[in-house]
Amino acid sequence: MYGSLDISTSGMIAQRTRLDVISANISNKNTILDAQGNYSPYRRRIAYLAAGNPGAQSGKGQALGVHVGAIGQDPSPFNLKYAPDSPYADASGYIKEPNIDTTTERIDAMEAVRAYEANVVAAETTKQMLALGLRLIG
Amino acid sequence: MPALEATIRFAGQRNRLIGHNIANITTPNFQQKEVSPGDFQEWLARAVDDRRTKTGGMHGQLDLASDRQIRVQRDGGFELEPLTSTGGVLAHDRNNRDLEQLMQDLSENMAAYQVATDLMRSSMGTLGIAISQRV
Repeated sequence: MYGSLDISTSGMIAQRTRLDVISANISNKNTILDAQGNYSPYRRRIAYLAAGNPGAQSGKGQALGVHVGAIGQDPSPFNLKYAPDSPYADASGYIKEPNIDTTTERIDAMEAVRAYEANVVAAETTKQMLALGLRLIG
Repeated sequence: MPALEATIRFAGQRNRLIGHNIANITTPNFQQKEVSPGDFQEWLARAVDDRRTKTGGMHGQLDLASDRQIRVQRDGGFELEPLTSTGGVLAHDRNNRDLEQLMQDLSENMAAYQVATDLMRSSMGTLGIAISQRV
């Protein structure tokens, strides 16, 4: 029974990490410079989930649950914006902007929030079951 | 009591499995895992029937035998061996999730656990009364 809580927690952690990645994408929607101030448009990040939870204490816990396997970059082409006056414009007057579509990010965020909620419900149910089991003692 | 114990054990382990399916609701290529509560009930009913033919009543230990989804351990407990579900509609990420079904399973399983623990409590209470009458 205690393993069930670990599993739901792993689900919550994974979905929260996914939301972090989505927030980073949205906040960097117009980022075209890197931390050093060089021209390097931000690439969209994607959190890839994988089954299993290598951080779990028990062997059974490692087989069940979920974790973020990798945070990768979206290889799709950058958006082009016509800005001939920009110091970063290329020969034909375009600058590259991050390949981020806020609509996609919002839909992803909604999915992550709902999945998080489903894990919360599962954890609540487990807690109730634990309480029921413990009442057998008293 | 052994039948109630088996039911509580089953519901506890199934809860873990449903939690696993919910945790992996957005994992690409993940196939939902499941054990059939109907099969479990048949399996338990067979053991109870066997006991009745052997002892002629409701007393004594259940003689549980491993089957396809349940592996009986030496200490009398058992471990579920879930099957991979092939039903359901595959989403674009090749995950055959069905959130509504999962939530329904979660509540049903919880209800079964509640009934089993309540029955267990009341039979323990009866046992307590029987013991206190002797002293």
